[in-house]
Amino acid sequence: MQVSGMTVKRKHWEPLAFASPSLVLIGLVIVFPLAYAFYLSLQNFDLSIGPDYEYVGLQNYTEALFRDSRFWASVWNTAVIIAPALVAELLLGLGLALLLNRKIRGRPIITALLAIPPMVSPVMAAMAWRMMFGVKYGAINNMGLQLGLIDVYFDWFSTPFRSILAVVLVDVWHNTPFMMLVLLAGLQSIPQDLYEAARADGASAWKSFWFITLPLLKFTAAVAVMIRMIDLTKLFGLIFVLTFGGPGGATETLAFNTYLVGFNDFRMSYASALSYLIILIVLALTLVFLRLSRPRDARAAA
Amino acid sequence: MSVAVRETALVGARRTTWYRAQRWLASGLTYLGLAAALVFFLGPFFWILTTSLKGNEDYFTFPPVWIPEHPSLAHYGRLFSKASGLRYFGNSLLVSTLSMFAALAVSLPTAYSIARWRFGGGFLSGVLLVLRMLPAIALIIPVYIMYKTIGLTNSYLGLIIIYTVVYVPFAVWLLVGFLRDFPAEIEEAALIDGCSRLKALIRVVVPIIAPGMAVVALFAFIATWNEFLFAVVLTGIETKTMMVLVTSYTSGGTDMFYGEASASVVLGVLPAFVVAFLLQRYLVKGLALGGTKG
Amino acid sequence: MKRFWAVAVGAAVLFGLAVMTHGPLAPRGASAARPYEGTTVRAVVNAEYVKYSLSLVEQDLYDKLGIKLETEVIPIDAFVAKTLLEFNSGKSPWDLIMFGGSNMPDYGRHFEPLENWISKLRLDFAMEDIPEVYKKLFLKHNGKIVAMPYDGDVHMLFWNKVAFERPENKKKFKAKYGYELAPPQTWKQWDDQSEFFQGWGWDGSDKKLFGAGASYKPSGGGYSYYWWRQRFFAYGGQYFDAEMKPLVNTPAGIRALEEMVRTMPNYPPGVMLFESEEPKTMLVKGDVPMLYSWTSTGKRVGNAAESVIVGKAGFGIVPGAEIDGKIVHRPALTPGRGMAVSIYSQKKEATMKVLEFISNPEQSLKIVMDPKTIMDPWRISHFRSQKFQQAFPGASEYLAAIEKTFPHVVPDPIIPGANDYQRKLSFEITEALAKRKQPKEALDAAAAEWDKITDRRGRDKQKAQWGEKMGEMKQLGIEYHADWAAKAK
Repeated sequence: MQVSGMTVKRKHWEPLAFASPSLVLIGLVIVFPLAYAFYLSLQNFDLSIGPDYEYVGLQNYTEALFRDSRFWASVWNTAVIIAPALVAELLLGLGLALLLNRKIRGRPIITALLAIPPMVSPVMAAMAWRMMFGVKYGAINNMGLQLGLIDVYFDWFSTPFRSILAVVLVDVWHNTPFMMLVLLAGLQSIPQDLYEAARADGASAWKSFWFITLPLLKFTAAVAVMIRMIDLTKLFGLIFVLTFGGPGGATETLAFNTYLVGFNDFRMSYASALSYLIILIVLALTLVFLRLSRPRDARAAA
Repeated sequence: MSVAVRETALVGARRTTWYRAQRWLASGLTYLGLAAALVFFLGPFFWILTTSLKGNEDYFTFPPVWIPEHPSLAHYGRLFSKASGLRYFGNSLLVSTLSMFAALAVSLPTAYSIARWRFGGGFLSGVLLVLRMLPAIALIIPVYIMYKTIGLTNSYLGLIIIYTVVYVPFAVWLLVGFLRDFPAEIEEAALIDGCSRLKALIRVVVPIIAPGMAVVALFAFIATWNEFLFAVVLTGIETKTMMVLVTSYTSGGTDMFYGEASASVVLGVLPAFVVAFLLQRYLVKGLALGGTKG
Repeated sequence: MKRFWAVAVGAAVLFGLAVMTHGPLAPRGASAARPYEGTTVRAVVNAEYVKYSLSLVEQDLYDKLGIKLETEVIPIDAFVAKTLLEFNSGKSPWDLIMFGGSNMPDYGRHFEPLENWISKLRLDFAMEDIPEVYKKLFLKHNGKIVAMPYDGDVHMLFWNKVAFERPENKKKFKAKYGYELAPPQTWKQWDDQSEFFQGWGWDGSDKKLFGAGASYKPSGGGYSYYWWRQRFFAYGGQYFDAEMKPLVNTPAGIRALEEMVRTMPNYPPGVMLFESEEPKTMLVKGDVPMLYSWTSTGKRVGNAAESVIVGKAGFGIVPGAEIDGKIVHRPALTPGRGMAVSIYSQKKEATMKVLEFISNPEQSLKIVMDPKTIMDPWRISHFRSQKFQQAFPGASEYLAAIEKTFPHVVPDPIIPGANDYQRKLSFEITEALAKRKQPKEALDAAAAEWDKITDRRGRDKQKAQWGEKMGEMKQLGIEYHADWAAKAK
């Protein structure tokens, strides 16, 4: 129940005073550093060389956009990881949500158990899976050998394709329950009488799924997909532990490459420029996504 | 009644056995699917746990030993003594707990401001939403340089500050939702009785939205516990967190220190299990809005 | 009157107590045995097993000097970055610094020279017990000695005698390749043999074994680059020419990389992620018949607790290339670990004592003999030690082989930015191994990155530094030969 419209009595300074702690902190710890990072991106501050630096204008940006194949490779890698991960998480999450939405016994506990993976750190998820992917003593190879699925040790990280597959798999494991919970909430908010009316009209389960469930779920799904997509562009800890960008640069994501530039090469200014490029990319993706989903929202609402 | 209803009833009766069989199948498949899901999503935890209890003869062997005959806590012992695991667990605990309280303390008044007085209008809420999209990598570089200058690297305070501030936008958003859910008359009553606004907030509002605050607090704890990028850059030998500890086992292959590696994973995911069980009811709301990501 | 005497006696008693506990009459027993009681020295290392190696001497260190050693591990990929970042800003949370020998140009100015402390504290580092090659390459900065070796880090050849001596294997090999099966002297033989041994039970079992071991992960400063460069130099390669032009993408480099790419199927799955220990494990478990790697491999070979080839292993020099009838070996000395005292430390005296302690022949022997530390022997006394020579069957051959390797070793490019150069090269080499780039393309990209680094660091400065190193390497007999790549057999 919303308390809409009514503004309660207050002293003039109260709203600001109440909000001030967070505003001050955000200003000091987020806004100021971001501005400083932008300033840095226009210099050539390189800690591996020394503490002095000078203004170079947009040179870092032009280097990144036109002379840095590793940056563009990281853009491509990030996209190649995001696409299948999003699709898999959406489909798998939807499937699980549909299953959970049925009248089953023990739903609360099953939901609670399934909800654990997203609550562990991607670093922990990656470490557990990395050990499971272990060539000689990992669970997966051992199980495969025991079941006779493979006859010699299989290396999950030997080729770029397999490494990306491994990254997608771990991310799907890590985040599908998130998608599942969002879609479950969405499913539970669809009024039941819609289904009853459909059944009375003789519609099959499939038809009511296609014409009732999906359209009404689209908005929720869109929001969830957008949140996941933005999170995926920031993929870092998982890569750090699972593949460290390898083999070669096959799984270097945007954030990971920037980290290497900033904290292995010490090129702080260049890394700041790369960070701003990432921000631009995320903004662009969000805008594109919003545009694409808006006409659908209008139709769904109607 | 109407012809249609009688028709449907007849048709329904004829379809009963077939219908019931269908329902059985659907039910069975549902449970099968959920069981498969449980195996997939919880299996890794099981394997990591058993691995952490295995001895060398159980790990370095084929056919694989899935459940050790003589489970032992030797790896945990070594993790605590040789690798200072206890200290780092304590660090994570300390940093996450303090960040959690700090985030709440800072976010609650702000959320109150927005919920009751629409402070900042849509603009502030929009800004807070945008901040959530911010990649940590953009922040870590300037923050690292700033911290180095003022000497806040390898300090609890430095880490807590950044964790608190990064989580505030999200905590505010959640708390605004909770605050909007109940009317302002209750505080108004307290104010008429002579309380200051702040006192009213603390004495009246907080007890009522305490469950909501607990949810936000626990999610904040998890988000800061799981945080990696800031931790790996800003911490040092004293202040390392569990997340950073785990990375010292990625070198040299995970076989050499499999015991310590798996034990540190078990400890690192412990809070997730605890929180999941504490918050079963709120999981959909909090988790669905991405509350466990910083 | 009484009060006066009471106070006087009280004061005298107190004064006496003070003198007795702190003055010249104080009991010296405890403090003489542990002169630095209560001091904690903080060390930083780049891997868990290095921390473990220090733990072997911690107890003795405390017993003798009363110093507690606290060791921090920074993972290898972030090690150089994090430590240099601290030092470059004029601070250091650590007193004792482990470092990679090739990074001395970047670290050197942050290390405290040993000279003054040697005379002040009458330290003994047993310098005459250190082989020339280390003294020349690792220990000096601006002419002063600033560090002690900690880990020898020389590459040598290890092979499983069972694989090479089984009559059936010998017959099969001779039939297929036309020459006798023997531990490889050249890269061609190595490649032939890795192909020969791949995929079947060359130990007489019916297991599917592998052709050879290697480490191809581009972490720290290398692995894939360490493996590549031993071919590269044998084919006449060198890092730069006198003008600081990178030579990694010359035919020598391309040939080396092409051979590595072509022979990928002969290595175990997982090789792309192998750091130092995985291939050693495969060797000692009998899964690969041969490996060239750090000398610490020998310890694991001889460790009956985990090795199945104790007494059945051979030790030799890394394969080379046959140039004009002579075989040129270019084993790597890489990266080498040294220990130094930070110039910013507040506890230099205690740390110097620690450095002396862990470097002394007895304690360092303990460290380099333990298979779990993976630290390699570096003192002459290590090679000649009776204890070591009898540590396991074959140990004396092993130690002799190390000494034989020394005259041929090739160091890393020991110039400022060494870590950057090595990382970029390693990355590109792995890109080629992962088949994401062609060998020539990868090495050209590496050369381009090297030029970028040189420019960022200041081309003239780098040229001067490299000129010096190039001269030193020339004295060791290592220089660029453009014609070798084509005629090497």
